[in-house]
Parts: sequence; C-alpha cells; structure tokens
Amino acid sequence: MSKNSKREPEVILRDHIFDGIREYDQKLPNWWLFTLYFAIVGFILLWFAYYQLPLGLKSDTERIEAKIAKIDQKREALLEAMVSSLSNESLQEMSQKPENAEAGKAIFETKCLACHGPDLTAKMGTIQLPGVSLVDEEWLHGSEPLKIMEIVTNGSPNIEKGMIAWKTQLSPTDIALVVSYILSKQPKN
Amino acid sequence: MTQKDPAPASAKTAPALKSITIEFDDRITRHFMVASITWGVVAMLVGVIAAFQLNFWEANGHVFEILTRFLHETLKLSFIPIFDTDGIQYLTFGRLRPLHTNAAIFAFVGNMMFAGIYYSTQRLCSTRMFSDVLSKIHFWGWQLIIVSAAITLPAGLTRGKEYAELIWPINLAVTVIWVVFAVNFFMTLKIRREKPLYVALWFYIATIITVAMLYIVNHLSIPTSLTHSYPIFGGVQDALVQWWYGHNAVAFFLTTPILGIMYYFLPKAANRPVYSYRLSIVHFWSLVFIYIWAGPHHLLNTALPNWLQMLGVFFSIMLWAPSWGGMLNGLLTLRGAWDKLRTDPVIKFFVVAITFYGMATFEGPLLSLRSVSSLAHYTDWIVGHVHSGTLGWNGFMAAGMFYWLAPKLWGRPLWSKNLANMHFWIGLVGILLYVASLWFAGIIQGLMLNELDATGTRFVHDFVNTVDKIELLMLTRAIGGTFYLLGFLLLVVNIWKTARSGEPVNETRVVVADPAMEIDRMTWSAAFRNDPIAYTFWGLFFMILWFFSPPGYSHMALICTLAFSFFAVKKFKADTKTWSDWYDEFSENYLPFSVLVLVAVLIGGMVQIIPTITVNRAMNVEDRLQTLYTPLELAGRDIYISEGCYNCHSQMIRTLVPDVVRYGDYSRLGESIYDHPFQWGSKRTGPDLARESGKRGDSWHYLHLLNPRGIEGASRMPNYHWLVENKTDFKGLPAKIAVQQRIGVPYPIMAPAEIEQGAREQALKIAEGLVKEQVRIPADADGKEPESETEARNKLAGSEMIALIAYLQKLGTFEEVEKDELEPGMPPVGPGVPDKFRPDVPIETATATETSE
Repeated sequence: MSKNSKREPEVILRDHIFDGIREYDQKLPNWWLFTLYFAIVGFILLWFAYYQLPLGLKSDTERIEAKIAKIDQKREALLEAMVSSLSNESLQEMSQKPENAEAGKAIFETKCLACHGPDLTAKMGTIQLPGVSLVDEEWLHGSEPLKIMEIVTNGSPNIEKGMIAWKTQLSPTDIALVVSYILSKQPKN
Repeated sequence: MTQKDPAPASAKTAPALKSITIEFDDRITRHFMVASITWGVVAMLVGVIAAFQLNFWEANGHVFEILTRFLHETLKLSFIPIFDTDGIQYLTFGRLRPLHTNAAIFAFVGNMMFAGIYYSTQRLCSTRMFSDVLSKIHFWGWQLIIVSAAITLPAGLTRGKEYAELIWPINLAVTVIWVVFAVNFFMTLKIRREKPLYVALWFYIATIITVAMLYIVNHLSIPTSLTHSYPIFGGVQDALVQWWYGHNAVAFFLTTPILGIMYYFLPKAANRPVYSYRLSIVHFWSLVFIYIWAGPHHLLNTALPNWLQMLGVFFSIMLWAPSWGGMLNGLLTLRGAWDKLRTDPVIKFFVVAITFYGMATFEGPLLSLRSVSSLAHYTDWIVGHVHSGTLGWNGFMAAGMFYWLAPKLWGRPLWSKNLANMHFWIGLVGILLYVASLWFAGIIQGLMLNELDATGTRFVHDFVNTVDKIELLMLTRAIGGTFYLLGFLLLVVNIWKTARSGEPVNETRVVVADPAMEIDRMTWSAAFRNDPIAYTFWGLFFMILWFFSPPGYSHMALICTLAFSFFAVKKFKADTKTWSDWYDEFSENYLPFSVLVLVAVLIGGMVQIIPTITVNRAMNVEDRLQTLYTPLELAGRDIYISEGCYNCHSQMIRTLVPDVVRYGDYSRLGESIYDHPFQWGSKRTGPDLARESGKRGDSWHYLHLLNPRGIEGASRMPNYHWLVENKTDFKGLPAKIAVQQRIGVPYPIMAPAEIEQGAREQALKIAEGLVKEQVRIPADADGKEPESETEARNKLAGSEMIALIAYLQKLGTFEEVEKDELEPGMPPVGPGVPDKFRPDVPIETATATETSE
C-alpha cells in the first residue's frame, strides 16, 4: 500500500480501517462528473423547453390522433377507389377467372382457413370451427358480393359470432380476391 | 484467525483499553448461503422450463404424455402407464413465470443478500449480531415464506402484480420478517464498536428502509377471502405504484444490497483499498435519490400522463452516472490487483459481475428513451436486459461471494478451483447466449410488429408469425439459460464438497475496545441544521415547485432552484472542509443517516404518486370511462389474473401508429380506471387484448382457449382445458363486489343473491350460445360426456371458461364522457373538483348496506 501511495502522492488513503479494508479518496473522474452534469442540465433545459416555452408542441394524443386520422382517411380512400370500381356483377365476373380464385385461395388459406375451414364449411373433419359456413347458402348479413366484401372489410357486427375487420391487414385488392374465391366456391344454381 | 493481544494500553490518563473476544455468528451466514444456493437451483430450473415453454407449448405437462406414450407404445414398456394430458394447470407459463421471478429475486438473491449482510455487518461493526434469536426467526421465517410462495403461485393464488404476486397473508409475513431483520440490523449498528459506518452499511441501510416502504405501499389491499384480495389502487394509480415498486425492487433489492456486498467482499478478496471514498458518497446519495423517480419508464407511450413519462425518462438518464459510479469504484479498486484476475476465480466472478452491472445500467437509460421504448417495450429485449442484471450482476456476485466465503465458513480451501473456473466459463457463455439472442429476438420482433405496408394503412405480419420468426433465437436463449444452470450446479458440487470435507467454523476475534469511544453522539440539530442539508433541501423544494406551479410562477421557482444550486456550489468551494467534516461526522451516526436516506427515497415517490392518487379520479378519465364489469365478468377477470394471462398479454394500446393500426384506438386512462389491479402488462408474447371485446365470437375464444393451435398453428399458448372442468366461484362474488365498492368502484347496491343470480344468468346465456353452435365439450375426468343439450349448457355455464369468455368479451368497452374543460399537459389539476361520474349513492352507504346484510 505504501508503495502505491508513493507513486501517487496526491492520493489520500483514509485512516480508518474497517475489518482490514481501507479507502482511498481519489478525485472523481472528470468524464464521469460531466455525464452527470450533462444529464442534469439536459433535464432542466428540455423540461423547460417542453413545458414552459410556447413551442406549440402537440400532446401525445393530439399527435396520434392526427396521424391515425390521416391513415384512416387514406385507407378509406383506397377502399373507396376499389369498391367504386367494383359491382356485384364485376365481382361475380372476377370469381369466374381461375387466376383470381387461385390468388384468393392463397390469401384465404393464410387468414381465413382457421375459422372457416379448408372447404369453407367451418368444419375441420367433424370439429366445429369458430366461423360460419360460407357454402351453406345462408348469409347472415346479405349475400350480394359487395355486402360480403363489406363484412370482410369491416368485420361482423355480431359480437357473439363476430369476425374481426380485415381492412387493417388486407389490401382492398386482397379483399376483393378473397371474396371472388368465396364466390367461386358457391354451390351453383 | 485470532490476533495478538494488544499491548496493554500504556495508559496515561485515558481509561484502559479492553480487549474483548468476539465470536461472530457465522452459522447464520452458512444457513442463508445454503438456502440461497438451494433456491437458486429451483429458481433457475423453473426459469429454464419457462423458457422452453416459449418454444414448445408441450413443456407445460403434455411432454409427460409424449414421453409415456413413447415408452409405452413404441418401446413396448407396457408396465408404464400413459399419462394422458395436454397440459397441467400448475405448470403453465402464466403460473411458473411468477414463481421463477419471485424465487430468483426473493429466494436466491434475497438469501444471498442476507448471507452477505450478516457476514459483513458483524465484521464492519466489530460485534456479533444483536440477537441470535432474531437472526433465527429471520432465517426460518423467510424460508417459510418462500415455501408458501412455491405452493401458492403454481396453485394460481396471486395478486396479479409483477414481483408482488404473493397473496396477502404471505405479504403480512414478509412485512413481519422484514421488521425482525431491520430491528436486528439496526440494533447491531447501535451496539457497534466501530465509530464510522462503512459504505457497505450505507447501502444496507438504504435497502432495508426502502424495501419496507415500497413493499408496504404496493401491497396495500383489501381481502375478499383468505387467499384473495384487491389492491386499493386501480388503473393508472396502480400502474404508477406498481412500477414505482417494480423498478425499485430492482434498485433496492437487486442493486443496493449487492453494491454493499461488493464494497465489502471485493476489497477483501483483492486485498486493495477501495478506489474512492468521495465517489462512494456522491454515487450513493445520487443513486438512492434518483432511482426512485425512474419507475414511469416502464410505462412509456402508454396512457400514463405525459409529465410522469417525462420525469421517468429524464431521471433514468440522470441515473446513468450514479450507477456507473458504483461500477467505477468496483473496477478501479482492482488497480494493482488485476493479476489476480488470472488466478482467482472469486475476482473473475466479481469483475464480470461488475461489468454486467455497468452494461445493464447503460442499457437501462437507453431503453428509457421514448423512441427506443416504442420498439423495445413489450419485447424480449427487456427480458434480456433484466437478465444481464440478474444472471450477470446478481448471479456472478453471488457466486464470487460464495466461493470466497466457503473456505472461511468451513475452515478449508475451496474443494476445486478448476471446477470454479469451469463454472465461470460455462456461466459466462450461458449469459452471453442468453442476452445476445434476446437482443436479436426483441429487435426483430419489435421491427416486425411495427412494420406497416407501403400505403402505411395496414400492418404486415400477423402476431403469431413474429413469434414464429424468433423461434431459433428463443431456443438459443433457453439453451443459454441451461448453460447458466449447469454452471451453477458445479457451484453446488464445489460448495457441497468443501463443506463436507471441512468443519463449520465460527470466527472468533479479539478486538480492542475503547470504553471512552462514544458513538452516535451527533445531535439531530447538528446533523440536519447545516449548509449542505439546507441548500439541498431548498434546491429540491424549488425544483418540485417548478414542476407544479402554474405558468409564470414556475419560472420564478426555476430561477430559485438555479440560484440555490449556484450558491451551493460556491459555498461548497469555499467551505469544502466544513462540508466534508460534517459528512464524516454525519456518517458516524446511524439514526440521522437512516432518516436522511428515508427522506431521499420518499421524495421521488411522493412527487409522482401523491398527485395521481389524490387527484379526483374523474380527472384521469380523459374522454372515456370504462363500463363496469358485471359480476360474471369480474369473476372472469379474477380467473384471467389467476392464470397469469398478464404475463404474456398486455392491455394497453400505446399512442403509437403501429399499435393503433394493429389493435385499434389507443387506450385512454378512463378505460382501466376501475381495474384493481391494472392489467397493462409488460410483455407481449401474445397480442394485446385491450380491445378484444366483440372482435371475435364466443366460440372462437372457446375453441382457442381449449386448443390455440387449432386456430393459430404456430401459437405457443397452452391448452386451457381445465377451464371447462374448474367451477367458477359464484358464491365468493358478493364479498368481492363489496370490496370493489370499498375501494371506489361505483357498483350499485346489489343484494348478494342478486349478484350471484345475475352472474349465473349471464353464464347460462353464453353457454347456450356455445351449445347451439355445437362446440365440442371435453369429457369429464371419468370420461363422461354430457348427454343432453341442457346438461351440456349447465356444465359449461358453471365453468371458469364461460366467466373468462365473458371477461374477454368485455375488454375495451367504455362509455363516452364529456371531456373536462382542462388544459392538456401537466400538472393534472388539483383535487377538490366534484366527481360527476360517481354514482348518486355515496360509496359509504353502499358498503354499509352490503355488510349489514
């Protein structure tokens, strides 16, 4: 210990010995002090700026509401554009084309199969799945292609037997494709 | 061990020095050490199982069926019966995870901390512990608490708050035992034979006082039965109190005591003086003062009022330097002893532990930035962060301390140094695998969840796909954890062999006592009426005033704060000697010292919590008010909590675009205002459930709970088939609702029969709907299938399944309320404004009627 004290003569070794432990009294490292001061000064300046300067900052809720409003608007516009280009007849027509039904099937299998089953009967073998059958000629919310499209887009209004809205994960085109797949699977007559 | 008798005092006039032989109570240290090692194995084993469950849902019991089936059918060992189960309710992640965290924190680190404190305190005070009886009560009481936790948590008895899950009778026991510990510790300080208090003792004092404060406040609850209670705080209040507690449990249970242990055992093991006394002072006081404020960083971008989030962020950043002060004082103490790093496993463990401490306390402030949090929060990055603290810092400090203590406690060298080295390397590889894989897992999953398509209107990845994507990383994590456990088992062998081949030794030491030495003589006035205290007090006083005063006045308060700081620095420069003399004397007096610690840790909590709990609750609702749970939904909520669903599912849609696009409108404060406890969650292993109601049908939930993989092929969620067998506790509902009323949930007056009947009717309705849809109803334990539709309906209606579905279908329902004409921002307005959302009937009356029946 004494050797060390000689090497650094300015360092104080404190007197008291605690169970053999002694303590130097080294100066605080400058860089360490600066990080502390920097954090404190930063806090004061930023808090002051944030809450006391008239910077016109928006609150979190104002910000998120503005952003989401824009997104909703855009989504609706995209949907609107899609829906207005479609009609019950054109959707039926779409479903006649095998490539559309094929593309719709691929989407159906990733998103819809779990509840409506591989053959759209809402049954997996004998097991009843949560969805409703899409091929039993019974449409709870209307059978027109556009109506089906709307239910897929915005979800089922029925809580006990509900379906989520798909517009936040499927594009309007995807939704149209899924609908044409469903239509292509309807029993003929 | 014994020292030479000191030469009889060549007394001039002073009273003669007396030599006294002390026998230290090392038995209690051995006890705590063995307990810590034992529970450490349990905690880590449960952790490894839980980690594997996140990869393989079968790890919750179904694995037994696979195994027995394999033995029975494939290997034709027909004497082995097939254990037919698709999961055991006591072993799900939701129940094991609380067991793991509680065991790791309170059993492993807790016992380790007590071992270190009992060993070092006696030596730093040159006296045996004040009372052996209290030490024993402390030891056995604590182990009993751990055993009862290990039984109740898997049984699903929980308060539903992280690291505060234990039920209320155990809470009482913890409080009593903690007081026993505190009395024993402080009385030992009182009878000490060393005048000054060594820095390790400062940290122990801070630990004992602060943990008591945190524990009591966060566990305030009103029982509804012997095993169940509701916390008195709800919604945002509960969130704030919980994370004030949760964050500071890390600070004052996993950090300060371990720093104290570092300050004792590291210089002892390295045989070097501590690097800097003044660094000890500055980092100790800044650490205990600042830590308390940082809790809200667990709630960033949530519905928590913005000013609290900001306090959480800024104080987390200010916390960086104080934390690193501890690291520096540890690492720099080794200057001149670095060669021991090659030879001494104890030093190896300590150095890596301190390095991990430094890393974790750098990562912490980083994660506290709101932008980083928006990616990292709710992901495995946070889990990795916590484990670099617990595995790296706590676990390796524990190992180093045990390896150093074992030879002292059993009077022979460590059984095998090589084995200890091997433990070190296996453990280190384990931690690195663990932490690194969770960095990647967290960031990958966070990025995937936040990804929107090119139009910015749709999310790209299904939740379950993000879980699937990180499968390999999660497996690496489980393997890393297994490595760490293996390393720890080597420690078990090593310590076991050392103890078996040695003899328990209690150190005796002859000390010279100076009868003239007077300790703790400082008057309260000398302790507190002086410049350092005065400047700090007024500086902080005006700082707090600055936060809360209305515009105009706040500028004045800020100027006062700055002025006080300026003059304090000036005064300190001029009077350095006076100030440091005051502190030297002050730290020789344990009572004023403890009082100042208490004041330092009280401030942050008071500033954050008191405004939030005193402000009229209606002030916090923003524009929406949660619809009250019906009795059945309340029962379902208790099942949700009991199953530990909150360990994987959050109920908080943050004010972030990806959250809103994926889950729906952002959560308002009012939407969880009646939630006792709050369920905002801290980790999303599954999707958020804040707006679950009405999204999916009852039968979807039914089938999904019975077999999640029937719907989401890659899901990790356990099969909850017992929900159909377990009966809902309808009879307990009136007592629960009475307590809800007492803690301020505005339930109307209802007769107990009315409550029960209402619940049963709602359950029947849901069950009827499900039966109509011809859902499969699992057979009874004895293989009996319900015969008629009515029987099926009645069976379902009484089951926990229906109550849980009712709850899930309620989540996120609210009533619009008029927005108060309040200025946005902080502070959140003063109390005293009438609460127009309360029912017409005063709560007191409602309760009185309830109890009189």
